[in-house]
Amino acid sequence: MNWIAFAERLLQGGIASLGSYLAAHVLLCLVPAFFIAGGLAALVPKESVTRYLGWDAPRYVAYPAAVMAGSTLAVCSCTIVPLFAGIYRKGAGLGPAMTFLFFAPAGNILALAYTGAAIGSDFAIARVILSLVFGIGIGMIMATLFHGDDLARAAQRDDGFVGDGRIARRTWWLLGAMLALLVFGTLKVSMLLESHASVSLPIAGTDRLERALFDLAPYDPAKGEEGVTLHGAFLIVLLLAIAPAAWKGLTEVDVGYNRWTWVALGLVAATLLVAALRIVPGADQLIVEFPGKFFGVVAALGVIAYLARTRFEAYEVQQWLWESWRFVKQIFPILVVGVFAVGMVRPLIRPEWIEAVAGTNSLLANLAGVAFGIVMYFPTLVEVPVAKMFQSLGMHPGPLIAYLMADPELSLQSILMTIAIIGRSKTFAYVALVAVFSTLAGLTFGAWVDGTGVWLLGGYLLAFIAILSVALYAMNHRALQKA
Amino acid sequence: MDVKILGTGCARCRRLEELTREVATEVGATIEVDHVTDMKRILEYPISGTPALVVKGEVKCSGRMPRKEEIAGWLTSSA
Repeated sequence: MNWIAFAERLLQGGIASLGSYLAAHVLLCLVPAFFIAGGLAALVPKESVTRYLGWDAPRYVAYPAAVMAGSTLAVCSCTIVPLFAGIYRKGAGLGPAMTFLFFAPAGNILALAYTGAAIGSDFAIARVILSLVFGIGIGMIMATLFHGDDLARAAQRDDGFVGDGRIARRTWWLLGAMLALLVFGTLKVSMLLESHASVSLPIAGTDRLERALFDLAPYDPAKGEEGVTLHGAFLIVLLLAIAPAAWKGLTEVDVGYNRWTWVALGLVAATLLVAALRIVPGADQLIVEFPGKFFGVVAALGVIAYLARTRFEAYEVQQWLWESWRFVKQIFPILVVGVFAVGMVRPLIRPEWIEAVAGTNSLLANLAGVAFGIVMYFPTLVEVPVAKMFQSLGMHPGPLIAYLMADPELSLQSILMTIAIIGRSKTFAYVALVAVFSTLAGLTFGAWVDGTGVWLLGGYLLAFIAILSVALYAMNHRALQKA
Repeated sequence: MDVKILGTGCARCRRLEELTREVATEVGATIEVDHVTDMKRILEYPISGTPALVVKGEVKCSGRMPRKEEIAGWLTSSA
């Protein structure tokens, strides 16, 4: 084999993968998602959720609150670890803490937005519903299994964990407007996709430019790949321009704005607007169309700018921007490297292998998905491009969800961290439960995709919830009798 | 003055330490900063989250970033 040609093929795979991720609006959906995550971190006081997670919180309040905490407060492990330890040691106890630990990596805004844009909104919805049901389930089973330990800790009662914070109404509005921005940018409904106006610019030769781009990063539509269009290339240039401007303007924005802050924010707005356009290159003219979503993005950006200027103090806006940029700095480089690496590995895996192991929704296939998720460790969100690769290689949606559930929950690193906080026996029980429940989740979703009735599966899910409710009632009853 | 920053070494916690040192020079307070990263020791304090700022053994804020003026107030009133 010619090694240079081989290396070139790998490199080209990486470039093509990165290019299509950057251009095909997949990473773009992360731009509003990063701002939402930053807003949640900076503007939502932790106490607004943790006050429901105090020592005295009844179970039916504590579990939903743990889920809320998972979806709103936690994006990276540096928030997850202290909150997990806090809920366990000082707050509502083992059960809600486990629910939180299970739900946070899968149910936060970045993970959901990214899954939705890269693999499909049905996967995002399945991911959130299944982790919700099974997260609460695992928490309750853990609480029942280790009930004695929980009671023993009652002696070390500590009310310091509970606070009294509220989420201001303006914060709800701001987060709502950003969520609208995210939805307008990614939702594929005809009202948002139809063109309502178009302009043609007299620029010649744009079609040749686009063909040159396709040659630079070849792609195969049969494999579900997308090429870098002219539009995409323009967006990549904009994203590259944001990086230095944001570095200068946002790194110390928490103590004040500077000129670069406005340049960076202007470029972000421009990127979102350009992404919402449709650009058709031609031989002697360039046609720019304005679909419905363009006007949605304009409206959402207007509302966000208005709210930020009039309803928030400069200090709050600065904190928000600082947090958003911190998330970008922390997560985006990992994602870029991850997507590139996945693109390089992709040509080495033969679709026949994947189809043989996980081409159908069998128990074995789901177990294989879970096993791969446990053995492999991918940093934050990189599980998504990996799953996308498996999907294009012919993996059945069932095992794919099983993998997506297990991978972010279980890795050597997270297992060690959990052992340090709750001890060996509880951690191994948790790992076993996650493996079982992820397999179940895969089988459920796979059955749904294969055509099993929604009502039948919904019935199973309801039965599961009913059994849990009974367990919950019994647990509460027992706790009351002891008290 | 004994000042403790509680945090697992994340970006916010490092930024809080930076800001605290800056404010201390601005208001002319001499402080010894102890950045506590050990989860066990962090949990000994009654806090709702990290980062947290402890001045002379008293938790001043937790789970959020304080303003510079707030930090200045704590450092001067506890002096």
